[in-house]
Amino acid sequence: MTILDEAGTPDVLSPLCGLRSLSEELSDVLIVLVGTRSEVHLSRLLPGALTADYSPGERVRFILLDPETKVRQGSVASGVAEAADGLRGIAAVFVVCGRPARQLGVDAAFEARLAERRLGVPVRAVGLEPEGSRILSTDLEDRALAALVDLCPAATGEIAPTPPPKGRTGRLFGGLFGTGRPERPGREQSRRVVLLGAGSPPGAWQELASELDRLGVEVAGGLPGLGAASLPALGEGVVVAACSPYLPTAVRAAAERGALVVRSLLPIGIGGTSRFLQDVASAAGLDVKWAGGPHPTWEELEPLRSRIRGKRIFFAGDTGLELPLARFLADAGAVIVEVGVPRLDRRVLSAEIQALGGEVDVVEAPDPEGQMERIESSRPDIVVASPGLHVPLAARGWLCCQSTELMQLGVYGYRGARRVLEFLCSTLDRAEDLDSIKL
Amino acid sequence: MRVVAGVYEGPSAHGILRVAASLKDVWVIFRASAHEEYFQVLWGPWARYEGRAPVSLSPAGGGAEDLEKDILEAVRRYPEVGAVIVARSDSALLSGEEVPEVRLPAREDRPRRLFRCPWQKPGLGEHEAADLMLAELVREYAVPQEKTPEPSVNLFGAPVLDPRAEAEMDELQRLLAGLGVGVNARVPLGASLEDLRNLPRAWANVVLYREAGESATRFLKERFGMPRITTPMIGSAGTGAALRAVGEACSTSEERVRRLVFRELAQTAKLPWYARLLSPRTLRGKKVAIFGDFTYAVGLGYALSREVGAKIAWSGTYLSHLEHDFSFHAGTFTEKTFVAEEPGEVTLRVERTRPDLLIATHFEREAAERSGASFLPLCPPAAVHPFVRLPLMGYRGAALLADAVDGALRRTRSPSPAAPEEPVWTGEALAALEEVPAFLRGRARRLAEERARELGEHRITREILEDSRF
Repeated sequence: MTILDEAGTPDVLSPLCGLRSLSEELSDVLIVLVGTRSEVHLSRLLPGALTADYSPGERVRFILLDPETKVRQGSVASGVAEAADGLRGIAAVFVVCGRPARQLGVDAAFEARLAERRLGVPVRAVGLEPEGSRILSTDLEDRALAALVDLCPAATGEIAPTPPPKGRTGRLFGGLFGTGRPERPGREQSRRVVLLGAGSPPGAWQELASELDRLGVEVAGGLPGLGAASLPALGEGVVVAACSPYLPTAVRAAAERGALVVRSLLPIGIGGTSRFLQDVASAAGLDVKWAGGPHPTWEELEPLRSRIRGKRIFFAGDTGLELPLARFLADAGAVIVEVGVPRLDRRVLSAEIQALGGEVDVVEAPDPEGQMERIESSRPDIVVASPGLHVPLAARGWLCCQSTELMQLGVYGYRGARRVLEFLCSTLDRAEDLDSIKL
Repeated sequence: MRVVAGVYEGPSAHGILRVAASLKDVWVIFRASAHEEYFQVLWGPWARYEGRAPVSLSPAGGGAEDLEKDILEAVRRYPEVGAVIVARSDSALLSGEEVPEVRLPAREDRPRRLFRCPWQKPGLGEHEAADLMLAELVREYAVPQEKTPEPSVNLFGAPVLDPRAEAEMDELQRLLAGLGVGVNARVPLGASLEDLRNLPRAWANVVLYREAGESATRFLKERFGMPRITTPMIGSAGTGAALRAVGEACSTSEERVRRLVFRELAQTAKLPWYARLLSPRTLRGKKVAIFGDFTYAVGLGYALSREVGAKIAWSGTYLSHLEHDFSFHAGTFTEKTFVAEEPGEVTLRVERTRPDLLIATHFEREAAERSGASFLPLCPPAAVHPFVRLPLMGYRGAALLADAVDGALRRTRSPSPAAPEEPVWTGEALAALEEVPAFLRGRARRLAEERARELGEHRITREILEDSRF
C-alpha cells in the first residue's frame, strides 16, 4: 500500500454545514451559532444548496457579530437568552463559536456559564477549530459530542448483572429483533455500552444497538442518541464504542470520565461490523463465540455483490469514512482504485489501513485538480465524489455518486452494508438505463 | 451584535468571488479558514458549469510568505490566467492579514496583474464588494479606444450565481438587435480581460444590475464620457423607457425605437394585455408587499403599481448602503419604505400587515405561508437555480411576470363576508409583546391570537399572551 500526503486542499464541506443535521439529531438542544456574516451566510445557504431545503432548523439560532466592535462581556449570554426565549422543551443549549468570535473577544466558556445561570438549563460552549491544520466536516459533531459527554450523568461504577437470554428481556431492544446468531456468553457480569457517533441519519446508532443487544450486550444509549434529556450514564464501568474515526475530543472527554473507550474496526461492512461487535462485547465482559465461516449476511447480499464485483471505485475523499467503506467494498469484490482521505490519523485508523490490504493507494489531503487528472487516467467505474467535484466529474462523463448522499443512507452495521451496496448498484443500474436511451 | 434568523447578503469575499469567477482568465486566491470556504460547493449545484470555480483556498494564518507562495503557485498551474485576485475572509480580515506585493511572472502577450483588494474591510457586504471589485478591474483595464463604427453598448448585469443573469443579458441583446445596436461586452458574466480593455469602444453602458455595476459605469462616464442607462428593465414600461434611452444614446431614430416597442408589446410583452384583462374587482382591497435587493424590488414595484394598478402596501430592501436611493425610487409607488438587514424583521412586518401578495426573497416563504399570503420569490437571493434560465427583465420578462402575478392573485385570500373579527390587543399586552425579541414577535402574536380564539376572547390581554407562549 502507498500512503501519500498530497498536502492539497481537499474538497471538504465546512463543519458549519452540519449545524442543521446536528440540530435534527439533538432535538431538545438549542444550537446558537455566534459568528460573522460569513459563518451565518454559509450555515444558512450551504445545507440548502445541497438538499434544496433552505430552512435553518427549528432549534438553530444565529448571533451575528459586528466585526467593527469588540464584543462586550456578557452580551453573548444575553443574546443566547434572547434566542431561547419562547422555545419549549429545551434540555440544553450549545453555543457554537469559531475563530472569528474569539478574535472579536468572545469568551465562549464564560458566556455559556453566564447563560446557564440565566436560563436554568445546561449551556455549553462548542468550538469549531480543528485539532490540526486540516478540517473535517465532522469537527462540529466531535465538539458537540464532547459537550454531550460532559452532560451525561455519572455512572455508579457498578457492573450490571448479566441479563437473561434473548427474547425474554425487558431492555430497550429486548424481544424486538429475534434471536442472535452467535452463542451467548458465559460470563456472570457485563459492562454497559454507550455508542459514540453514528448519529447520521438520526437513529442510525439504534441499529448497532440492536445487534449488540442480540449478543446480550447491554446498550445504555447512544451519543447523540435520544437527546440531551435522555443521556446515558457515563463513567467507570461503562464501555464507550467509537463509531467514527474522527471524534478525538469526544473520545478524550469520555476517557476522562473514566469510561473504557474501545477502538476496533469501524462498524461498516460485514467484516467491520462483526469485528466491532465482537470487540465491544469483549470489552463489555462477554465472551462471544462466533460460528465459523463467512457471516450469513454475505449470502443474503450475494446478488448485490455479483453486481459490484470487479467494478473499479475511486473515493475522492471528504467524509473521513473512506477507508472503512473502501475496505468493505474490496471485501465485496470491488476494485478500489484510490482512497482519498481528508485527514489520516494513523493511530486511530491502523486497523483499517491493515484490513484494506496492500493493493490500494491512499492519498491524504488530496489536491482536487490532481485527483481529477488521476480519475481521467485510471478510468474508474464509479467515483464517490465530494460535493465540489460531483458536477465537474459528471460533466466529463464519469459516473459519480455523492459522498454526502451515501452518508445520509446510514452506513453502519449489517443493514448499512446492504444500503451501501444497494445504493452503488442502483447508481450502476441507472447509468445503464440512461445509456440505453437513444437521444 | 444581534440575534438573527439569517442574513440576506454574504460577506465581502463572497461578492469578490462572484465577480471574479464571472470573468475569463482570472483566478481568485481565497484567503480564509477552511471552515469559511463554500464557494466551490455552491458552484456545482447553482452555476452548473462543467468546470470547477476558478478559486483556490489559501489557509488563513499561514503568514505572508505562504500567501505569496499560493499566488505564484496559481500562476504556475494556470498559465493562461491574466489576473489574480486575493479575497480575504472575515477571519483573515479580523486577523489583520495584509496581502503582500507580489511580482507576477509576465505572460507572453501582456503582463499579469495582482489585485489585492486593499479596500476590503470587516463589515463590508457582498454587493458593495462586488461593485468595488468590478470598478477596480474596469479602472485597471479600460483604455481609451475609438468607438465602434456601428452603435453598440456594454451590458452590466448580475455576477455568477444569479439564476437569471445570463437570460436577462440574452433578452436585452435580442431587443437591442431589433434597434440595430450591437453588444460590445457583457460584464461581468463571461467577459474576458480583453473585453474590459475594450469597454470604452461602446457608445453607452446599460446597467441591468446596479448593485454590481454602479461604480464601474460611473467611472466609465467620468473618464470616457460614456452615458449610463439605469432604468430597471422590469415590466413593459421600464423596458420601453430603457430602450428609448438606449436609442437616444446611440442616435437611433425615434421611429425605429417606437416600431420595436410596438412590435414587442403586440407579440411578446403580455403584462399590459393582462392588466387590461384584469377585473378591477380582483385588485380591490388587495395589498401587495415587496422586499428584496434594489433593482428587482424597485423594478417590480414600478411594474406592479403602474402597469397592473396594484396597491403596494410597503416595500423594503436589505441593502442599507442604497437606502437613500431606494427610498427615493420606492417612495414613488408606496408610502412605506424601509431597510431591514435581518429576515426576522421582515417576517414580523409580514405577520403584522398580512399582505395578500408578497413578492420577496426565498427567506420570506415561511412568513408568507403563515400569514396566508400568496408568495412570489422573485427577488434575490434566490434559492431556485433551474436549468432553464428565464428572464424577469425585458419584454419576455414582462410576460413571465404577468403569468406569475396572475397565478398569485388567483391564490390570494377571497374576502369572506363572515370573516372573523380581528382581535383587539390591550395596551398592556402590546407592551409585553414589544419585550419579545423581534424575530420571535410574530410567532408570539400568532400564538396569543390562537389562544384568545380558543378561550372565546375578543380582547388579548397580557395574561393571554403569557399563557400562550409557554
